[in-house]
Amino acid sequence: MSLPLTVVLRAGRTLLLMLLAATGTILLVRFAPGFFSDDREMDARYAQTARLEIQAEADQQHSLRSIAIREVKGWLHGDFGQSRQFQVPVAELVGARLRVSAILLSKGILLGWLLAICTALPISCLRKGGVVWGLPFTVLLAVPTAAMATACILAETGGPVLVLSLLIAAREFKFLRSLLGAAWRSQHLLQGRAQGLAPLALVRMHILPNVAPQLYALTTLSIVTALGAFVPIEVIFTVPGVGQLAWSAVMNRDLPVLVAISLLMACIVGLAGMLSAREFTLEAA
Amino acid sequence: MTKRMPAAALLLLIASAALTLMFSRYDYAHQDRDAIMASSSEEHSTGTDELGRDRTVRVAAALLVGLTGATAAAAITTLIAACFGLLAAFSPRSIAIVLLFVSDLFLSLPWLFLLMMARSLLPLTASPVETAVTTFLVLAALGWPACARAIYRGAVQLRYTEWMIYGHACGLRTQQLIRLHLLPHLRSLFLPQFLICVPAFIVAEANLGALGLGVGEPLPSWGAMLLELDNSALLARSHWVYLPIVLLVVVLLILESFSSEGGTNA
Repeated sequence: MSLPLTVVLRAGRTLLLMLLAATGTILLVRFAPGFFSDDREMDARYAQTARLEIQAEADQQHSLRSIAIREVKGWLHGDFGQSRQFQVPVAELVGARLRVSAILLSKGILLGWLLAICTALPISCLRKGGVVWGLPFTVLLAVPTAAMATACILAETGGPVLVLSLLIAAREFKFLRSLLGAAWRSQHLLQGRAQGLAPLALVRMHILPNVAPQLYALTTLSIVTALGAFVPIEVIFTVPGVGQLAWSAVMNRDLPVLVAISLLMACIVGLAGMLSAREFTLEAA
Repeated sequence: MTKRMPAAALLLLIASAALTLMFSRYDYAHQDRDAIMASSSEEHSTGTDELGRDRTVRVAAALLVGLTGATAAAAITTLIAACFGLLAAFSPRSIAIVLLFVSDLFLSLPWLFLLMMARSLLPLTASPVETAVTTFLVLAALGWPACARAIYRGAVQLRYTEWMIYGHACGLRTQQLIRLHLLPHLRSLFLPQFLICVPAFIVAEANLGALGLGVGEPLPSWGAMLLELDNSALLARSHWVYLPIVLLVVVLLILESFSSEGGTNA
């Protein structure tokens, strides 16, 4: 398949993913209990007739069709509608927090990968004892993100970046170890070692170029893992990022914010998937 | 041999938890108002929480609730994944593409975010047992795509094996082929998928609980027990507050040792 066609297909897939994510969010929130609640209904100053009018107005506005139209108008306008909870444009709300989350995610993923590769590379070439050396990562895998974050707060050590990077490192270490282990055991590498090539040269010239496509695929998975983990991390560490906003929007049924965050997540995942040029599955790792 | 050790440890933990619940003087919801945030004593061997509830009993109940819920959710997920994977493998190509796209959609969106949304949008006035059932059902409903993918790949590989083609040529219907020949061969795939899901669901419940979206109080759960760690006054009084997290890690390590062995065997 030619490159432009692949790019078009993948872009189309990302757009479809975003559309389905937005539709799913609208359906979920629209049918959630408490979605129709309005603060004005609790206000004693409103007469019964006024409350009935408010209710009738809300019924009209809360039909699926009108919600969808309102959302699409917001997207086209560029502000993604008005936040129900904060009464400000969603784009403004998300934009301010996007930078904080982007820094957290990029630092966490980068450090996590660095830790995983630096540990997996020497461990993968060991003939014995790999399981013992990998034990810290096995233990880390068994600790829920929320517990890790709470432990950091209690110990007054580390922060959100450390928790995220440890989580990423623990997840990726397992795959990297088996991937690099298989690479070390391959025939051409044995030949290279027999000819006296230095380990660093082997890694640079033979191992990394061979495992690069699988590494791209694993990076995509890391992004999805990080996007899933950053919500409890931001909530527990009170980081003013998108994850904390998502949690707050979920608790308050803030539909426009939730749709915008779902779109953003689907877009990031779709773009990350586009970056991994070839399709490699987890099984390959 | 290596499988027996973790199995024995897990059984020992379950038996201890069940015996604790059976023979304890206190219920998991019983509040001893004279022993609020108490440290270890004769009456409460591992102390009490901020409402005076016995920690040993609550940890035992959380262990059983977590394991039962996660095991049931993993079984449901594996069943859904098996149905979905087999349907995709034996459907015409166009239907298979649509089905796989649906699983990709679920796979590509962050899991915890989906869980958080689905769980929080459920009834606000549900009883604790209902919230527990709902939480684990949501986990089961969202956890199937990865398993379905693996089962689909396994089923597609087996579908074109010589013995399947031979069975088809002998006049066996697709349902018979699946029931008699395919499912026994796929059993080695179902078990690891199931074993991977159990610890994953326990971790997901703990994370949801820490966000206040897990199993409702007063029913104990790992997530609710983790919230105790936020109480600095409680932490200053007793080190037993750390018991739930230590036990949770031990349980997860045991369960992960099963899944890694299950995966190796498969």
